[in-house]
Parts: sequence; structure tokens; C-alpha cells
Amino acid sequence: MINQNKDIRDDQIRIVGDKNPTTSHKMKWIPIAIVCLLFIVVALLIIENTRTNVANENNYSSAFEPQAKPTPVLPDSVPLFNIPSDTTNVGYIERIDTCINDIQLRLFIPHHAEMSLYIGRMKKDDPSVIFVGQAADVRADNGEIVGAFVHKGKPISWGKSKKGYCASINGKVYVGVAESTPLFEMATENEGYFFRQYALVDNGKLVENNPKGKTIRRAICQMQSSVFMVESLTRESFHDFAQALVDLGVNNAIYLVGSTAYGWSVDQNGITHEHGEDIWRNNPSGCPKNVSYIVWKRK
Amino acid sequence: MFINLHMKKSLIISTSTDLVRIAPEKIICITSDGNYSNLIQTDNQTRLITYQLGQIEKMISTQLGSEGKCFIRIGKSLIINRSYIYYINIPNQKLILSDAEKFIHTVSASKEALRQLKELIEKEANL
Repeated sequence: MINQNKDIRDDQIRIVGDKNPTTSHKMKWIPIAIVCLLFIVVALLIIENTRTNVANENNYSSAFEPQAKPTPVLPDSVPLFNIPSDTTNVGYIERIDTCINDIQLRLFIPHHAEMSLYIGRMKKDDPSVIFVGQAADVRADNGEIVGAFVHKGKPISWGKSKKGYCASINGKVYVGVAESTPLFEMATENEGYFFRQYALVDNGKLVENNPKGKTIRRAICQMQSSVFMVESLTRESFHDFAQALVDLGVNNAIYLVGSTAYGWSVDQNGITHEHGEDIWRNNPSGCPKNVSYIVWKRK
Repeated sequence: MFINLHMKKSLIISTSTDLVRIAPEKIICITSDGNYSNLIQTDNQTRLITYQLGQIEKMISTQLGSEGKCFIRIGKSLIINRSYIYYINIPNQKLILSDAEKFIHTVSASKEALRQLKELIEKEANL
């Protein structure tokens, strides 16, 4: 019986005998308003859904463009940077060919080796050497090394015109991009090695460089805890080569002398593979005295 | 005439100890008073009924049938006899029940309820 009082509100009236109280004008509008609101919501949802479909269609259209992030083409049987150590512990360079953005790359991954620098024409008489690649640039006017250079703790050159750096100190290799780095001093204090080159990748981001034209490009890269060298097997611009390295996933990369710069690598079977052209083979005196190389030697 | 008078329905409100029998036209309004109700009569008498307003509304509906439609429930606290609606003032929330002769009784209700009451009367009068 108490509920009989609750079936009517103070703003309602009811003729006694009728079951339902009279609905006010305001109340009459509420269902209409709700229906209108629902209609508007449904209409908005339909419009939004249509827009989303159109946007998706546009995305699908653009997906046909070659903008998708490329997947490195690697041999199925060879994991890139998780290669188990062999029992012999003999240093070697693993060569892996891959393709990024239609750019063919060759990766040189050192195993059981440590990096140093060498100045002067590199000879092949040291059996411990498993990789050689030209490192810093040499000025054409005075033959001096471009950028800071430390050789076994001895500063050879100073300069910060190139932001990329590579250092090998106490068996650890650093690749990075910075105008100033304490690694130069560390290298001098610890009989380490340090040189500068064009920066290509800085913390996973492409670094643009001024030099134009296409040629064979080379780089030394740091990817997570691994350091390796890369060579383009086709002539590429700085930009495309750097982009390929970014897409490969490297964290930092700096340039190594490209084009016909000479070097070689020794694989697991002890076979030497040359890259570039040994243009001073028949004319050793023509080699600049300050030509420099990164050298990976067996530990 | 005699027969007609006796044929006219009366509202009978009975409790375990007493009984009220009253003709509908003698009721001005019934107001809620907690769990009880006050029956306001045209002779200016007020009788306390030990029933809740909703219970009395149900008695009116049950006992008077279609004649009960002369009563209108207004909100939770009021039942009025529509025959005596004399004056409605919505802004002042004032409703005066009167026969314009012997009695005049003022009650209060919500603006919305009074507005609906006003519309109802206008509608029934084809205004």
C-alpha cells in the first residue's frame, strides 16, 4: 500500500480511477528527445563508419606503394647476430648478403676479433688480420687525416668537422654521433683508437649528408651490442644507403671510405675476400702516407 | 427524488472502530498527513482518517466507480474534488477550492501539477 504513494510524483496529477498519472508536456518531450538523440547518434555512427571505411580504403591504396617497411632478406639458416661461438675460437668474418629497399648489402660480422686502426698501406702479411677497410678520409691538399684520430693512444689528428665517431678502447668498440665525446680522451689514455667519419645513423635516425652522387658505400655499424661492417653491392647515394641501414635496424652507423677503397675479409674457412680495388698494388709509393684502415684481428 | 438520493453512491471509509460515510460532493479535498489523511468537508469540518492517501484513492476508485472520476489526485499529498476548483495560480502554486458560496479552501501544489490541472480543465471545457 505504501507503494501507492510512490506511483505518482508531486509534479503529476491523475484522475482517480485512472492507472497512470497525466504526463506533463516536459515528460512528453523526453521520449521524443530520446528518439531524436538516438537517431542523431546512429546517424553520426553511420557517417563516422563511412569515413573510417573511406580512410581504410585510402590506406589500402597507399599500401600498394612501396612504402612498407622492408624486411631484410636473410638466409633462413643463419641468424644475424646470435651466432653461437664455434669451439675453435678462431676469429673470422662472417659475410651475409641481404637486401633492403632493393639495395643489396653485404654484412661483415666479426667473430673472436678485436678492432684497431692502422695508418699507412696495409699489407697482407699478418695472418691475424681478418678484416681491413679504409677508415678516415685524407685531405687532398695536405694529405692529413680528416677529423680527430687516435692511434694506439697517440693523437694523430684533431678536428670535429665530421660528427660520426668510432673508437676501440680496451677491446670494446664504440660507434656513435656526437660533436664532442670523451672517447677521444679515453682512447689517448688507454692506448685506444679513435677516428671520425660522416654520421649515417644516429640512434636509429637517418643523418643527412652533403656529398651527392652514387658509389659503393661502406659503413661501420652498431646494432644493439653488436658491431659490424656493411658494404653496398651497388652504387648508392648517401641518403639511400643510410636509409637502408636504418631499415636494417642499426642504432648508430658512420661511414667508411667507399668507392674503390681497398680492403678484404677472411671467412670461417680462411678464404680471403677482397673488396674495392688495390690501386696501389703496382705503385705503392702512390699511396698517401696517412691512409688509415680499421683492422679486425683475431683475438 | 427520494429514490435518486438513496441511489447516489457514498464513500464509506471503515476502520475497526469507526466508519465514515460521506457523499462525494460533500468532500472538498483529502490531504495527506503522514500515515493518515485529512478529509476536508464542505461544511468546513475536517476529519482525520487513519488511512494513507493512496488507500483512500483506491477506496474512491473501487466504491464510486466512474463517479470517482470527479476526484483528482495531485501529487503525493492531495486529492481534490474537481467540482470545487475555483482558482488556479501557477506562479504562486495556489489552488482555491470553493463553491463560491459557503466555503473556500486553499491548498498548494507544484507548478507543474497545477499547470497540468489547468490544461485538463481547459481541455475538458474545449477551451
